[in-house]
Amino acid sequence: MKRLRAVRELSTVAILIAEVLFFAWYLWPDAGRAHPFLNAENALLILKYSSIYGIAAVGAAVVIISGGIDLAPGAVIALSGVVTGYHFVAHDWALVPSIAAGLSVGVLSGLLTSLLIVNAKLPPFIATLGMMGITRGIAFIITEGQYYDVSSRLPAGWRPLGVPIDWLAPIVMFAMALIFQVVMTRFQWGRSVFSIGGNETAALFSGIAIGRVKASVYVISGVLASLAGVVLVLVQGQGKADLATGYELDIIASAVVGGASLAGGRGSVMGAVLGTLIFGVLRNALPQIPGATFYDRLIVGVVVIIIVVVDQLLLRRSSKS
Amino acid sequence: MQPDAPPEAGQAILSPSEAERQCLMRSLARLPFGCLSLQFERIEKSFGAVNALRGVSFDVAEGEAHALVGENGAGKSTLLKILAGLVKADAGEIRWQGQRFASSSPRGAIEHGIGMVYQEMLCLPNLSVSANIFCGREICRLGLLDDAAMRARTHLVLDRLALRIDPDALAESLSAAQRQLLQVARALAFDCRILVLDEPTTALTDAEADHLFDVLRELKKDGTTILYVSHRLPEVFRLCDRITVLRDGAFVDTFTTAAVDTNTIVRAMVGRDLPKRSDDRSAGRSDGRSARRSNDRLSMLRLSRSPHFRNISLTVASGEVVGIFGLVGSGRSELLETIFGIHQPDSGDIQLDGASNTIRSPRDAARAGIVLVPEERHRQALLFNLDLRHNLVIPKGTLQDNVLIDTGGERRDAAKMLGDWRIKAAGIDALPDSLSGGNQQKVVVAKWMATKPRVLLLDEPTKGVDVGAKFEIHEMIRQQASEGLAVLVVSSDLPEVLALADRVLVMKEGELQGELDGATATEEAVMHLATHEAVTA
Repeated sequence: MKRLRAVRELSTVAILIAEVLFFAWYLWPDAGRAHPFLNAENALLILKYSSIYGIAAVGAAVVIISGGIDLAPGAVIALSGVVTGYHFVAHDWALVPSIAAGLSVGVLSGLLTSLLIVNAKLPPFIATLGMMGITRGIAFIITEGQYYDVSSRLPAGWRPLGVPIDWLAPIVMFAMALIFQVVMTRFQWGRSVFSIGGNETAALFSGIAIGRVKASVYVISGVLASLAGVVLVLVQGQGKADLATGYELDIIASAVVGGASLAGGRGSVMGAVLGTLIFGVLRNALPQIPGATFYDRLIVGVVVIIIVVVDQLLLRRSSKS
Repeated sequence: MQPDAPPEAGQAILSPSEAERQCLMRSLARLPFGCLSLQFERIEKSFGAVNALRGVSFDVAEGEAHALVGENGAGKSTLLKILAGLVKADAGEIRWQGQRFASSSPRGAIEHGIGMVYQEMLCLPNLSVSANIFCGREICRLGLLDDAAMRARTHLVLDRLALRIDPDALAESLSAAQRQLLQVARALAFDCRILVLDEPTTALTDAEADHLFDVLRELKKDGTTILYVSHRLPEVFRLCDRITVLRDGAFVDTFTTAAVDTNTIVRAMVGRDLPKRSDDRSAGRSDGRSARRSNDRLSMLRLSRSPHFRNISLTVASGEVVGIFGLVGSGRSELLETIFGIHQPDSGDIQLDGASNTIRSPRDAARAGIVLVPEERHRQALLFNLDLRHNLVIPKGTLQDNVLIDTGGERRDAAKMLGDWRIKAAGIDALPDSLSGGNQQKVVVAKWMATKPRVLLLDEPTKGVDVGAKFEIHEMIRQQASEGLAVLVVSSDLPEVLALADRVLVMKEGELQGELDGATATEEAVMHLATHEAVTA
């Protein structure tokens, strides 16, 4: 199984490399002009915008491996951004307490979600669909259609963690990916998540505290989404209610492209992050192709299906031999 | 397409035996070629490096009941899958009345008149009986489902099976036996000429199995050929005219039932002689008996959980094996699951070493030293997405609340467990899917024994396990008991209960009917308690 998982992550890397090589070739400029796609500045841009998806996709991967689904991340990103902005801009809080308030959104929404799923026994799809509406709704109520201008209150030339602000999101993403990759593969808790996703009844019969583990899974997903929201509002500078609209589906798609099975019990955090990079490159490169602007959603959809179909074919073959 | 009109009562009594005799005569005589309805010729199939079938040839005569027996992994299931069109053979062919026949899909097999009754009792719990029977082959009129026609046909088929259920009832409301018969009904609804049954009585009580056999005899009389796959040799002897034995994917022999005994068949199945049960049974038992009463480890006082069981009081001493015999539906599985904390009792008390315990979850139970090997290992015990190492170490690891996983230590532990429990597997990285039923069960026992429990609860410990592994598991249970473990084993396999238990308790409709001494109890005495009213009632 270990070998299989390693192969799966490698194939995600291979897709990413193939994709980059393709756009590098396709967008090769005329002699004497700078490459519009293959340059350091553009790479950072891709990383910066993918990272918001990536941070939340770490949580989505954990939820999907547990056999559940979380539709709320997009809305939680928005509410966390709005709450951070609300305290920081409208109430003149210091930056750190404002961030803490933003992160508490994820904790609270995660706790409420797990209460609905573990205690009220709602299916995760329904519980998180409801939470998606509730969190997005609260964001609109708080902002009343306005936005909080976070960037104007941040000190000029602010260097969070001692790096330029553009680096913040990728650093947070890679840190979370690393931490949760280790947690999922080397910690008892992570293995319990795999067990529950594989066979919840057998996990219960094995003495795993499934209620507690499932609850923690949704809290983690909420916290990671709110972390993405806080980072987004700091990097982009505006706290508004329609942030990250529709992100939840891209986040789930990233986790699936990265090898997570919606049936549960299979997947990886690293794969999910690589999945967001695959989409990030597409979103960055397609608009640069003349005339392709209107095709980019279609192409993204086709790519998801192709990658998952190929993955299943490979899996079927490797499980046979 | 219509089933024959029900035979008159007088005929029904006389004819089966006559038909049986005819069939017997036919199979005793060397059969003329044209009479062979189903021939398997040099069937080969490999999955990767595993040779599931290596050139199996035998034939099933028209109108006979033919048994296919063999240990798990002998290749029976693969052969059935090839017949059903679920798997394609690598080489060889199946002939159906002299014609080469290759069903490339389950649908093709059905159209050729092959009705499959699978072991797993495939049924759609959310649909009605009638919808289950016609699933995939619905009767339509003007493009719309013709529910009335389907209901009428369902009535006919159910009558033929003497099955009194409402065609509109949901399949989930049916008992295990009714679901099994529902599959037979599914086959009959489409005029099957050969009915293939894979371990059909695993979940049935003896009375229900009797009913199934009555039905099968009726069908045989009507000319249906039966291919019957089972671990349970007494059933095979009751029903079948001839018995084909497979071992390790190869054909061993075909025997005529009338001219062979159980020992011969068992020897052909396992390829060696099994030690006699009664000898080692008395040896293992004496330890348990001396230890008894000195130390009641697990006791229950008037434990009730409506509607499953009422007023259950029993004790299990350290070193003792207590057997509970009860038919399906007697509440025995629910009792074990309640002790293990999956359900909460309505009233009553569970004590461990004389002290009351509050057990609210399997986790609490396992922490207190009570562990359960559940009845359905596919659904309740094994994680098929994880390898054997994880399956073997998860309970121990999760109970110790280790935060970090010590991969090296776990690999050593798991490898040792494979050796100690004689689990036949490619290695600790193998997936549970690749193991035979017996070895899967050993994994479940081993993972719990690693937690050093004080009470071991076993629910049907050798269900779907082959003869050799069954013997080994019994040996292991006795070994653990002799080292001081208290064992409570529930089984509907009567010889198993008698072989294992120091004391036999009989459970019926949620109540304990009585207690028998394991050494002196007979099958008749136990069955009497399990099926009849208590003498005082």
